[in-house]
Amino acid sequence: MKTIGLISANYSSTEFGDLLENRSLASLPYGGRYRLIDFALSNMANSGITTVGVIAPYNSGSLVDHIGIGSPWSLGRKSGGLFIMPGSAYGLQSFGSRFLLRDLIKVRAFFERDDADYVIMSDSSDVCNIDFRPIIEQHDKSGCPVTMLYKKVPKGEDYYGYFLDIDEDGKVKHIQEEGFAWANYFADCFIVDREYMIDFINWYETLEYMDVIQIMKDNMDTMDIDTYEFKGYLGKIKNPVDFIKVNQVFCNSERPIFTKAQDEAPVFHYPSSDVRNSLISAGCRIEGRVENSIIFRSVNIGKKAVVKNSVIMMHGEIGDGVVLDHVIADKYVTITGGVKIYGTKDAPVVIGKEKKI
Amino acid sequence: MKKKKCIAMLLAGGQGSRLGKLTTNIAKPAVSFGGKYRIIDFGLSNCVNSGIDTVGVLVQYKPLVLNRYVGTGESWDMAVSDGGVVILPPFAGETGGEWYLGTADAIYHNIDFIDMYDPEHVLILSGDHIYKMDYNIMLEEHIENNADLTVSVLEVPWEEASRFGIMSTDEEGRITKFSEKPKKPDSNLASMGIYIFKWKALRKALLDDHDNEKSSHDFGNDVIPKLLADKKKLFVYRFRGYWRDVGTVKSYYDSQMDLMDDMEHINVFTKDQKVFSNSNYYAPQFIGPKANVSDSLICNGCTVYGTVKHSILGSGAVIGDGTIVEDSIVLPNAIIGRNCKVKNAIVNEGVIMEDNLDVINEDGEVQVYGRAKLSI
Repeated sequence: MKTIGLISANYSSTEFGDLLENRSLASLPYGGRYRLIDFALSNMANSGITTVGVIAPYNSGSLVDHIGIGSPWSLGRKSGGLFIMPGSAYGLQSFGSRFLLRDLIKVRAFFERDDADYVIMSDSSDVCNIDFRPIIEQHDKSGCPVTMLYKKVPKGEDYYGYFLDIDEDGKVKHIQEEGFAWANYFADCFIVDREYMIDFINWYETLEYMDVIQIMKDNMDTMDIDTYEFKGYLGKIKNPVDFIKVNQVFCNSERPIFTKAQDEAPVFHYPSSDVRNSLISAGCRIEGRVENSIIFRSVNIGKKAVVKNSVIMMHGEIGDGVVLDHVIADKYVTITGGVKIYGTKDAPVVIGKEKKI
Repeated sequence: MKKKKCIAMLLAGGQGSRLGKLTTNIAKPAVSFGGKYRIIDFGLSNCVNSGIDTVGVLVQYKPLVLNRYVGTGESWDMAVSDGGVVILPPFAGETGGEWYLGTADAIYHNIDFIDMYDPEHVLILSGDHIYKMDYNIMLEEHIENNADLTVSVLEVPWEEASRFGIMSTDEEGRITKFSEKPKKPDSNLASMGIYIFKWKALRKALLDDHDNEKSSHDFGNDVIPKLLADKKKLFVYRFRGYWRDVGTVKSYYDSQMDLMDDMEHINVFTKDQKVFSNSNYYAPQFIGPKANVSDSLICNGCTVYGTVKHSILGSGAVIGDGTIVEDSIVLPNAIIGRNCKVKNAIVNEGVIMEDNLDVINEDGEVQVYGRAKLSI
């Protein structure tokens, strides 16, 4: 059961303001030392997948810089390895769609050149830690050409995307779009027979402007789709509010989340520091107070500064006496001494890259 | 193969028996240091920061962790096609094999390795010193003096001079006398165990030394005195800066504490002369809602629920709720349960301390707790 992976990173979001000005959602810094795509790449690596394609967005600079030749995910290999492939560009960025058929047509060779049985298709912006191996096993036994991953979510909760109507045998009856309060939320991840995917691309080539899931939805009578319930944590990062939550989904020693190595010094907590309920990454020097916050690498937090409910990305300089509450500061932001910035839970203040306040 | 100007040979085979439990199953150069580093990081990082991209690492004593850690040298940016890091263990030949008998013997057995690169100069290093040094400056002096051997020396307090190998020199810095741990030193220039040889001169000296049945095959005891007796050109290079030989538990503890207490002299935060390491897959540290951390160095992968004062927590260490860790060093992946007290202790790598356990060493004497548990 040879399985390869394809990660779709050719989509963006308008919800993040300055944070996504020069980068794709996939390369958004997250969780103190990661980029969102690290989760998809690490899930592949931790499931023993050694051939992974990434469909890159047009503004792929930060993404390509981050994943390089893929060595943190054991993809710097002779056989297989990492394939970064440009996605389609058509004037406008794609926002909602994860698996645009046009992108798959462009990377058709990725499916054709490998001899794998299955392909895991994943989006690149979900925070989750999945072992794909049991899913591959189930898919292999099911005889269905497609197995979709879903997560049971409380009805009425604010999820957007697709929801699955599933029969007693676990097969998909209908796929519904957002707005319907179905409990089985599609996790933007599915496994498909490689040859079926090639056929699928050929059959529907004229519908290239459509999303693959949309096409499946419209053609359910001809589709035989199995499902797999994912019971772990699935974090949808759809706006800056999600972004600020402190969680430790990546603290899993069985399946670590890998990322580009930076190799910073340990964090120095000065005698005056006071850190509570926070994630702090290497290379930081902290003299002030940090609460419910995520601090990326090499951030300096000055004396009597207070950082609460905030995210400070790499190389931030937070001066003495600064107060930040519900603030997201992009890379290389400098907040000079004494400045006080207050956002709210529903509307955190976003400070763009390299800004000095 | 293009000819190299200078390659390094890093001696990493010693046991470091005075480190006690720290080296029960780990060679001294691979012992954890400063939370995320291992001692050998300083030597390897100095090499790459000095533009030396070819390093032979001579191993012998319990090399498992060391070999695995060093790997291809990729973590120190040394995985280059025409150089890189090569681990050099003792090996068997047509007439059997033997252990490395001394520092010079270890290099003698790897003459073929050095010849492959045909370098003009060879830098000999110890894998167990804590310091930041640009070997280029030393190499330039060495070349300028047209020296056969240049020994890096440090001015030490006169009263401590009898603990070191002491170099006496003339006004130009040419070595006139070398005495190992002299009772009445006539110089306070201590050898740091860092040598740059002209390869031709070293090659001949090693062959001579190998044939000398009376030799203990050591650089300090045999090779250098012989070169001096043969009137070769031996010079000192005066190093001014932080340098520690972490030979004892106390010096091992003190110099780690220096990383936060003496940043003026040894600073791992600065971007120049950066110290690289191979420990990069840990998540950011999590400091719990009731945790209290102050005056401490905490690494990625740590989880802290208790109190940590003036201590160092290695990568992946866990400190339970209600536990107090003070003036201590918790090595990587050690797990300390709830309501423990740890003071003046070094908790060994991967050790699991159960709840309600106290490890307290009073009177400032630091002791090592537990046997290292090795893991990937």
